[in-house]
Amino acid sequence: MRVYIKVFASLRNKYPEVNDLNPMEMHLDKGISLAELISLLDFKQEEVQIALVNGLKKSLDFKLVEEEAIISLFPPIGGG
Amino acid sequence: MENGYMNKWLKINLSTKEISDFNFPEEILRKFIGGKGIATHFLWNYALKLEKKGINIKDMDALSPENVLVFATGPITGTRSPNSGRHHVMALKSPLTGSIGSGNSGGKWGAKLKFAGYDGIVVAGKANLPTYLTIVNGNAELHDAQEIWGMNSLDTSNWLKEKHELKRAGISCIGPAGENLVPMAVIMNEVHRAVGRTGLGAVMGSKYFKAILVEGDAKPKIAKQADFDDKVKEHVEKLKENGVTGEGLPTYGTAVLVNIINQNGLLPTKNWQTGVNENAELISGETLTDKYLINKHPCWGCVVACGRKSKVEEGPYKLAYTEGPEYESIWALGGSTNINDMGAVVRANHYCDLYGIDPISVGSSIAAAMELNEKGFIPKEDLQGMEVDFGNADAVVELTWMAAFRQGLGYWIGEGSKKMCQHYGAPDLSMEVKGLEMPAYDPRGAKGIGLNYATANRGGCHVTGYTIAAEILGDVDRFTTEGKAELTKIFQDFTSIVNSSVNCLFLTFALGLDEYAEMIGPVTGWDVDTDELLKTGERITNLERMIINKLGFSGKDDTLPKRLLEEKMPEGPSEGQTVDLETMKQEYYELRGWHDGVPSLEKLEELGLTR
Ligand code: SF4
Repeated sequence: MRVYIKVFASLRNKYPEVNDLNPMEMHLDKGISLAELISLLDFKQEEVQIALVNGLKKSLDFKLVEEEAIISLFPPIGGG
Repeated sequence: MENGYMNKWLKINLSTKEISDFNFPEEILRKFIGGKGIATHFLWNYALKLEKKGINIKDMDALSPENVLVFATGPITGTRSPNSGRHHVMALKSPLTGSIGSGNSGGKWGAKLKFAGYDGIVVAGKANLPTYLTIVNGNAELHDAQEIWGMNSLDTSNWLKEKHELKRAGISCIGPAGENLVPMAVIMNEVHRAVGRTGLGAVMGSKYFKAILVEGDAKPKIAKQADFDDKVKEHVEKLKENGVTGEGLPTYGTAVLVNIINQNGLLPTKNWQTGVNENAELISGETLTDKYLINKHPCWGCVVACGRKSKVEEGPYKLAYTEGPEYESIWALGGSTNINDMGAVVRANHYCDLYGIDPISVGSSIAAAMELNEKGFIPKEDLQGMEVDFGNADAVVELTWMAAFRQGLGYWIGEGSKKMCQHYGAPDLSMEVKGLEMPAYDPRGAKGIGLNYATANRGGCHVTGYTIAAEILGDVDRFTTEGKAELTKIFQDFTSIVNSSVNCLFLTFALGLDEYAEMIGPVTGWDVDTDELLKTGERITNLERMIINKLGFSGKDDTLPKRLLEEKMPEGPSEGQTVDLETMKQEYYELRGWHDGVPSLEKLEELGLTR
């Protein structure tokens, strides 16, 4: 299953080239959870505060099954 | 008295040049705290006095001498409690909206006002010649401002500091936009910090009032010093440990929101025609940090430091030094206008600071002009050869200063999107509430913020009740309308406390009502708990509502632009959504004890707002 990963803010310290315009393509087993994906990307679970799948917020036990899904990962952020 | 306050207010009548001191009784301070709360209390009584004189405030011109400005700090301001350099400014009437004028600013001016010996300043009347005020160690004086009338905020600040030989003084002033009575003009302080919304700069301009310099060595005295010191330490630790206040905001500034709001599909683009912006990455906090950031820049006493010092190294918008831009400015000047050049955004934001104009309102109005032009509503001669098109960075930069100086199409942009869109025959293209341009979150993708825009007393504003913290940055379902009435009410009432304390709203990412009670208690010596605080917040929100009712606003005005109510979001993660406002609004009124946007007598009695 092919998916596209986008990381933001301090998560880019590990992946400086990955952004909205340049997502990272990954091939994953169907049914992998967001928590597993986060480990696979070598992040600690608590580093990722918000995970979106196709722009919708999902909990970390959410299982990825959709081809070509876009996964956006954020550390704790805020503003206003 | 050891209660956090300086226990002294200054009152100036610019018409008569009278200057006098006064104070509020302790019972009133406890009911309204300070900042926004105490200013609202003052304005209510002032409105009653005007009415007694036979002046109908609904018809009163916001730029007439009858309008009044209130600069206010609170008991927390200027203490060692974190992020307490801020202040709040209000006017009975906003020239942009006709509703109440209200804004909050960072910087250091609030703290410096207290060091100069005052909790607040009331400015009434109108000077016959340009005038400025200095307050140095308790000594208030009016001066001739003819030499600085016409100067931008940077030159004004430098001139005043030199003239009075006070290099570290706090300076609030207006730029050319305020002098030119542009209804979206701001009051600047420390050159780059603004009381940004509802056009308070024009109210200053209408009074021929250019600036206020404050400096002094006084310090607010704390009622229970040891308890206070413990809490300060605890709160600073909490702020450092929290991911948002300890890392996100300091590293990327508020602009870190550009990407997450866009990834959720609610970054208003092309004047809110969509919530998906293809260029978001190019105008994001990450891009700002990589390519434009010089350093972070905290306000006085701030341990978070979301402020930015920035530069544009090359290209047509080259700039050696400026500050910002903030998330909202980036969105309005760059997102809604759909430009992909961060340099242009930085430059346009710099013009907003120098000339003293609100980047949210001006950016939004430029975007509205672009849609008006796209749809053929603007006659060719009004464009004067300019290409006022989405994506045109040059047009954004030019129209920003043109609005401040009332040049060409800038005249209508400066009047605000509501008047401009009416003038060009397409009122539905104006994306404002009560005349105030809405900020950077499309409520079709987060319903609670829509209810807040609709019901906020000053108009389309996010910082009255920032439900985004729960709906996008937290765990609350963003699409449902269920529970949003309660969420909005709590956010609004809590924010009234923050703006009355006065310190920085961003503290609330890490500190809650408990911590506010822990701060206000030891500072003032009052035995306050969270219930009392929430009631106080509710009281302030209600009294402000009573003022706007008098100004002619009621349930019919608690609404959203037609586009958000009827046009489905065309694409992206929020596709197909509209805002079902009516359901949320009725629930909200019920929770508030309001009938059609007007507080009921029972509610006013409960809050001690009847006499
Ligand atoms: S967090 Fe930002 S706005 Fe708040 S006090 Fe600090 S620098 Fe100023």
